[in-house]
Amino acid sequence: MKIMTCPINGPRAITEFAYGGEIRPMPDPAAASDDQWADYVFNRNGAPGVKQEWWCHTPSNTWFVAERDTERDAILRTYLYTGEA
Amino acid sequence: MSVQFQDLSTTPRAGVKGPGAAEWLKQLGLPVPDVPNTWLPLGGALGGGLIARLGNTEFLVEGPESVKLAAPISHGVYPVLRQDTALVLKGARLNDLLLETCSVNFLAINRTTRPALLTSIVGVGVTAIPDGDELRLWCDSTYGEWFLDTLRTIAAELA
Repeated sequence: MKIMTCPINGPRAITEFAYGGEIRPMPDPAAASDDQWADYVFNRNGAPGVKQEWWCHTPSNTWFVAERDTERDAILRTYLYTGEA
Repeated sequence: MSVQFQDLSTTPRAGVKGPGAAEWLKQLGLPVPDVPNTWLPLGGALGGGLIARLGNTEFLVEGPESVKLAAPISHGVYPVLRQDTALVLKGARLNDLLLETCSVNFLAINRTTRPALLTSIVGVGVTAIPDGDELRLWCDSTYGEWFLDTLRTIAAELA
């Protein structure tokens, strides 16, 4: 069973979690070119590596950040967006 | 049946959340658990009700004391609608039922710290409080009938 650690609820089975997408900084809509904005809206980086992602512990609706190495399929650490729990 | 089910859905309960919720509950004279995901009894035994801290800033109050939460709320406090299906499970095969339906090992839980666990059972998000040889469960009432039916079916197979 794959385990992920929720910063509030502790280690739980991965089935209790939902993926919320990679954290990607949004360009300034007023200053970004059309190409930059389209890249932000439509394109995703599928290359394996260490990524910061949104995850949600669904029974408690706790959103947090998981740092995951998608090449090794390893969860490096998890933390609340506002800091360590 | 080797697992007994009791439906406590009609017990009064109320919830609040927000950055000011803990302080507001203290002002109402309620004991507030210091640690997230723990609970405290209200008025001695569980028959007097309980207050549970769910995460950092959300609280569930069940029992007669829950009427206190009808007081005007203050800044940073938000009411949470609690129309839960509330169940009490006990019996000789309770842990076998939980092993089959939930990924949390309840036998490994230290009950002296009064933990409140937010997990999923048969895929339904629940708040679970183990107390003595009983397990108290709360889940969204829209899942209630199916949830209870499913647990009863599995418990019957264990008998």
